[in-house]
Amino acid sequence: MRAVGMILAGGNSYRMKELSKKTAIAALPIAGSFRSIDFALSSMSNSRIQKVAVLTQYNSRSLNVHLNSSTWWDFGRKQGGLFVFPPMVTVDNSFWYRGTADAIHQNLDFLKSCHEPYVVIAAGDGVYKLDFNKVLEYHIAKKADVTVVCKDIQGTEDITRFGVLKLNDDCRIEQFDEKPMAANSNTISCGIYVVRRRQLIELIEKSVAEERFDFVRDVLIRYKDVKRIYGYKMDSYWSNIASVESYFQTNMDFLKPEIRDYFFRQYPDIHSKVDDLPPVKYNPGSEVKNSLVSSGSIINGYVENSLIFKSVFVGERCYIKNSIIMNDVYLGDNVHLENCIVESGDTIRPNAYYVGENGIKIIDETDERYTL
Amino acid sequence: MIKKEMIAMLLAGGQGSRLGVLTSKVAKPAVAFGGKYRIIDFPLSNCINSGIDTVGVLTQYQPLRLNTHIGIGIPWDLDKNVGGVTVLPPYEKAGKTEWYTGTANAIYQNLSYMESFNPDYVLILSGDHIYKMDYEVMLDYHKSHNADVSIAVMPVPQEEASRFGIVVTDEKGRITEFQEKPDHPKSNLASMGIYIFTWKSLKEALLTLSDQEGCDFGKHVIPYCFDQGQTLVAYEYNGYWKDVGTLGSYWEANMELIDIIPEFNLYEEFWKIYTKNDTIPPQYISGEAKIYRSLVGDGTEVCGEVYNSIIGSGVTIGRGAVIRDSIIMQGVVIGEGAYLERAIVAENSVIGARSVLGAGDDIPNKVKPKVYSFGLAVVGENTEIPADVRIGKNTAVTGKTVPEDYPDGNLGSGETLDKAGVVA
Repeated sequence: MRAVGMILAGGNSYRMKELSKKTAIAALPIAGSFRSIDFALSSMSNSRIQKVAVLTQYNSRSLNVHLNSSTWWDFGRKQGGLFVFPPMVTVDNSFWYRGTADAIHQNLDFLKSCHEPYVVIAAGDGVYKLDFNKVLEYHIAKKADVTVVCKDIQGTEDITRFGVLKLNDDCRIEQFDEKPMAANSNTISCGIYVVRRRQLIELIEKSVAEERFDFVRDVLIRYKDVKRIYGYKMDSYWSNIASVESYFQTNMDFLKPEIRDYFFRQYPDIHSKVDDLPPVKYNPGSEVKNSLVSSGSIINGYVENSLIFKSVFVGERCYIKNSIIMNDVYLGDNVHLENCIVESGDTIRPNAYYVGENGIKIIDETDERYTL
Repeated sequence: MIKKEMIAMLLAGGQGSRLGVLTSKVAKPAVAFGGKYRIIDFPLSNCINSGIDTVGVLTQYQPLRLNTHIGIGIPWDLDKNVGGVTVLPPYEKAGKTEWYTGTANAIYQNLSYMESFNPDYVLILSGDHIYKMDYEVMLDYHKSHNADVSIAVMPVPQEEASRFGIVVTDEKGRITEFQEKPDHPKSNLASMGIYIFTWKSLKEALLTLSDQEGCDFGKHVIPYCFDQGQTLVAYEYNGYWKDVGTLGSYWEANMELIDIIPEFNLYEEFWKIYTKNDTIPPQYISGEAKIYRSLVGDGTEVCGEVYNSIIGSGVTIGRGAVIRDSIIMQGVVIGEGAYLERAIVAENSVIGARSVLGAGDDIPNKVKPKVYSFGLAVVGENTEIPADVRIGKNTAVTGKTVPEDYPDGNLGSGETLDKAGVVA
């Protein structure tokens, strides 16, 4: 592959509420056994991108722990590799990443030392499979300076939290509004870009010299009439998890057979760090309906329309409905949960009763756990 | 200079013929166990958990699955710059070339492998037991007794002692006598086939016995060391240990994992068992499914009913299918409305809709009554069973079978249907 990958995974969003209190958005567990960054990383690996840099800042430790080896995504070690770059104090710089463009700027040395002619930039909070080779082919065919992967959104999703685009007949971007008050198009940017490496270095150096630090506002939108910025329409599944509602909905999408089949059974696979957990154990008293359950869990109670993530213990006579129980949660006996998201590592006391009345309730309990 | 205090040699070359069609295409250590593991994961995990980072795995019979499973040892952290895991098949030599003719002969043929690590001690393991054991504690015992050979032993019920190799010890743990399957056992300590040798003693014994036909640890090396007056001690082990040499004990050991708090607990944080994970996605349990007292692997889709069973990874269980007291391995597809009772279905097999396995009377198998017993219906890997057939107890089925293979849609108890040509 003639591109190097770059994943922008440093940001936080108030829309995540308590979900991102302890975890970077890109490190949030999703679909039972994955982390959200796995989808971008796997798409890169499956497109045979060998070298990937992940730029982290907010709650970066959670992501660092996940990205402890390039092996899990089959990146190389000598010809390429997986690099995690948090902001760094140097002689010339003592800032955190002040924006996405600044984040790339602080790592220009890395980009300059690469030999690949193109860069694929992606966000760490998308759930999708994408062959970047096709995007790159399109980029070259259109003689574009920057190609923005975009998608037409139908239905009820609030699209004003995305970048909203309008393409002309040739698919060149005519209009580009970042998080507009009112959207006048239903095409949104997926936060995935292809750009020639030297072009990117030039654009970033110019912007940062003018103290402009945001890649979308200060590069894409500012240059859209000067540079050839094209949209590549994606028609397969894509979802962004950067709000509580969409995080919940994206997870629930995996209860649909066609989504499961697309991500879990069709080529190519999504890769993730391996946790060495035993199979799921169903004890007497367990009853599970229309749910996903991940390895290492032990089920003693009733579970319906829910996702049980890794190493979860569900106590006796529990009633779990329409809920997401994240990694390593212990639910005591007789716990009742409806429309809830239970934070990773929680311990819920026996007889606890939580129901999300209007929307999703996020439960973040830190009771002490007694285990044998 | 390269130096390892203790290295392990893991004997994984045997066929394990008493596992019948389960080992027709794979060596016994590579047979699936407990939903997502293979038998060899247990000794390999024990090694790395005990701090042993150099393991030679001796392979001979059907090594492909074993080779792919072990790879360079990544799942066990055995991908080391120095040491790590090395697969050691038999090889051609300038002089006399032979297969591995016995356990000790296999080790003898790899003297140069062991020598390259300058070990003080060598641990001999076999790849067909389910247990968790800290070999470092055994090594401490070996050292504190100034032993030349330590043999791990476990107490067995006195009335069963005549089925095992029994060691008799004095009050200091020194071995005074061996009894192989004795009629009148003098002790109840059975050898587990796990040995620690002081390197000098092992090398000396192997070189001396190099011309011995089918040189074996139990039959030749240990008696030789004993006769030479070396110090042989018994290290008593009291945890869970299971030989899964027969279909019956293999089935039983799997079933023991689904007790509420199993004696052999896979869910403990301490002493993890590692394996190569081919499948990552979670499992899906549909609205019609019922699951009771079972283990289910990753990526499996359950639409039917599962009772007291071990289900591997990536399995599909169709609507209305019922599975009882069975072991279903990786990638199997169970058709809608099928009924399985006391069945073992090996990897990537397909069971047709509404077919029944494990029906009828308990009639002994006509070809191999000692192998296919315990009332089990055993299906080999990559087997296809058509829809609407009935298969009895103590049966074995392999290969792509078609309705014509089942007269009146029936394969009676005790019959063998071997389209893959592996039940010799």
